[in-house]
Amino acid sequence: MLDRLAAFAGAFKAPGELRWHVNLSTQVTMRKGVLLSNGQSRGGGVSARLYDGGIYGFAAAPSDDDDAIRTVIAKAAENAASVGGARRNAPARAASEPGEGLYDYRSERPASSAAQRVRILKGLDSLIREKYPDLVNVDISLSSHASEKSLATTEGVRTYSYVPRSVLSVRMAVEANGGLVDLHNTLGGFGEIQDQSFEPESLLAWLDDLHEELRRKAEGGQCEAGLHDVVLDSDLAGILAHEAIGHTCEADLVLAGSIAGDHVGGMVASEKITLGDYAGRGPDGKSSFAIHVDDEGTACRDVTIIENGVLRNFLHSRQTAAELGAEPAGNARAFAFSDEPLVRMRNTAILAGKDKLADMIGAIDRGYYLKRATNGQADLTSEFMFGVSCGYEIRNGKIGRAIRDTTISGVAFDMLKSVTHVGDEFKWSGAGGWCGKKQPIAVGMGGPAIKCKITIGGRG
Amino acid sequence: MTALHDAAVEDFCGELVALALAKGASAAQAQTRRSRYFEMQFDNRGPDLVRSTENEVSALTVFRDGKRGAASLNGRSKEDVAAAIEAAMASAEAGVPDDANDVADAPSLPPSRHGPESADRAQMAAGIEAFLSRIRAEFPLLRTRDCLSSFSDADVAFANSHGLRQKERRAAYGFTAMFMAKDGARTTSLNYVDSSRFTPFVDPFQSAGLERLMIETTQSLDRKPVPQKFDGDVIVTPECLASLLGPIVNALSGAALFAGTTPFRGKKGQAIASPLFSLSNRPRDPQSPGGADFDDHGVPTRDLDLVAKGVLNDYLVDFFFSKKLRLPQTAGASNFHVAAGDMSLEDMIARTKRGILFSRFSGGAPNAALDFAGIAKNSFYIEDGQVRHALEETMVSGNFCELLRNIHAVSAESVDYGSGSYPFVAASGVTISSK
Repeated sequence: MLDRLAAFAGAFKAPGELRWHVNLSTQVTMRKGVLLSNGQSRGGGVSARLYDGGIYGFAAAPSDDDDAIRTVIAKAAENAASVGGARRNAPARAASEPGEGLYDYRSERPASSAAQRVRILKGLDSLIREKYPDLVNVDISLSSHASEKSLATTEGVRTYSYVPRSVLSVRMAVEANGGLVDLHNTLGGFGEIQDQSFEPESLLAWLDDLHEELRRKAEGGQCEAGLHDVVLDSDLAGILAHEAIGHTCEADLVLAGSIAGDHVGGMVASEKITLGDYAGRGPDGKSSFAIHVDDEGTACRDVTIIENGVLRNFLHSRQTAAELGAEPAGNARAFAFSDEPLVRMRNTAILAGKDKLADMIGAIDRGYYLKRATNGQADLTSEFMFGVSCGYEIRNGKIGRAIRDTTISGVAFDMLKSVTHVGDEFKWSGAGGWCGKKQPIAVGMGGPAIKCKITIGGRG
Repeated sequence: MTALHDAAVEDFCGELVALALAKGASAAQAQTRRSRYFEMQFDNRGPDLVRSTENEVSALTVFRDGKRGAASLNGRSKEDVAAAIEAAMASAEAGVPDDANDVADAPSLPPSRHGPESADRAQMAAGIEAFLSRIRAEFPLLRTRDCLSSFSDADVAFANSHGLRQKERRAAYGFTAMFMAKDGARTTSLNYVDSSRFTPFVDPFQSAGLERLMIETTQSLDRKPVPQKFDGDVIVTPECLASLLGPIVNALSGAALFAGTTPFRGKKGQAIASPLFSLSNRPRDPQSPGGADFDDHGVPTRDLDLVAKGVLNDYLVDFFFSKKLRLPQTAGASNFHVAAGDMSLEDMIARTKRGILFSRFSGGAPNAALDFAGIAKNSFYIEDGQVRHALEETMVSGNFCELLRNIHAVSAESVDYGSGSYPFVAASGVTISSK
């Protein structure tokens, strides 16, 4: 496929990219032993994008024969021309280091069969409902997603990648005072289902932990609304890095007016905070997501966003880099064959410090230890929020009763200045995340535990 | 296979069913959606992307010995079709038998057509220019980003092994605007509208409350927290109500009833909301692009009064859960409408002792009990009947069941987004706090 794309890349009349892109996924979900979904999907095709007169023209079709490739190239040119060079004064896209190479992370093991996938769920469901008879509901899902791409650009980039990820999710619900209480957790990450340890007998301790945390949550109480001293465990530090800082520092949003544009070179965080968006599989090579060349053909390299508390860099496409005088580092990504590349994060993380988790908890008289997040959102003001599904009160330096679901928020560039401790143990969040911004996209998020002040919602 | 490649969309999905039966399925269904999409993306400086895509996605579900398997594919290559059928059959073979696994028996509708034949791109471009001209003239502090003027056109065909056949074509224009205000170092939150209709957005300001939102966004440059934590009123705006309804209608679904996790269990025929609140699902509304004539099982959709004057009339039970729960099927596609009331927004504000105009909820996913907590974005503090100031870093916490019961006013004004329409709704008993 790559050779065929390369042959056609010469047909462009303006700089651009030709991409063959297929997304493959499997999904099995079970609720109380009933299979609600059981199948797989394949969606793919070709797209062409070119940059002409400050305008991107883009076209995509769900096939990859020569006629389809010729058609999308012609339509992309026609689309760009249709608005009559509305931005003739726009700068040329920034030059970037061309990416290269084949990055095939396909498993060497035989692919999991439908029978194996269903067997995992049936085994887990039986085990959970037999072991924990107090549960009102059990939801289990096993999913995989792989993105396979070939990219040829008019500037000579030729690259291929196959990047898989798979996730097991278990949600349990129990009756409690004040209504039902539920809690979920995920396992997995980089690789295909056959690369993971999802066999029920290997998950006993993990399931016991989830059930015990649910039991404590059912006995727990509402948070007291307001500003509190908290310890955010690594799962929340990862989503903090992504939502609160990462989005605010995406250059397309900086051009739209993000507050980050006013703070380059300034202290926006405690000097203990160094935060970046990392290429490959991140600094430790263990993130749930891998990327080496972006969808504009730029070689991916690490971007240090905050260095010892100082805001240093933004995340760029070639277009935003030209507008802001920066050098692109491979952040232009597309989710599907029919999607254009957008400025996106990759593996975004706070780097580890030197503090111990026990010391952080011990330093708080009255506050919260927050362990797991649900969803999150960011804003151009750097105001962020994320849902918290699992956490505990801290009283006199010790873990107390569990809390019910809540939401935390803050203004990142204020909140990060309140960080007093950064943990010495780095972890990637759960089994990886999905980010929504016109298109969904797979991302990695990680960090150590941190101690800071944050606003908590609640009725207590 | 050449014949299959060139077949009409309804013949192609019928052929997928036939191929699955030939491979040993006891029953099968297929839905094929052929879509064409065109968009112009723009910001204050004009268009920056013109994008057109085509796609065709077929979802095949097969049944064997009471078990179900599924596969979807796009395109029609011989290899992909064969792989999808094989994958669906393998999934069914591996599945769990269930009496609810079956294809539907339902009447086949005449093919239908909704919306225009083709996009009027000149009108779309004129709408963008009108939008940007007005922003330049009246809202100089507003910055727009990733705004879209779009046209989507899809043929959807359905076939199953009981002889059910459906087909509809639905085309609509879309308009999405994302914007914020910036004045020096002062920056507001992002605000946005997203709406669709059958005619071009020649003047986007005439739709979806856009002018009100742009005025409010500019006013949000000067923000303050609430003076102190209090339990008060919220006047939920139409755009906020659209997002808050999601968890509520999920809790009314057959899936939630089966899980046993919804607080609305056993509440059919009972009051679950204020008598001022009525919610209906109108997938067959001929004026609304957001509907559908039939669902993913080929069953014709129907309009339903879900909550009438506060009383829960019915749940949203789709084909599978109607069989699983032995309840009538009531849902399959959604297009929600909350009935307008008789009070003006101005009067609702004037009657508010202490509360907020709640314009956007940015919060964690509500739990099974429907407790919620999140940030009130683009929102305003109200005291003694007057809007006092825009809010920053303000959290709103409550419970959706209580919120529905505590509704005490619904506005006469309502906003139609094309995929639902909503008024302003005032309710009490929400905890509002700042840091």
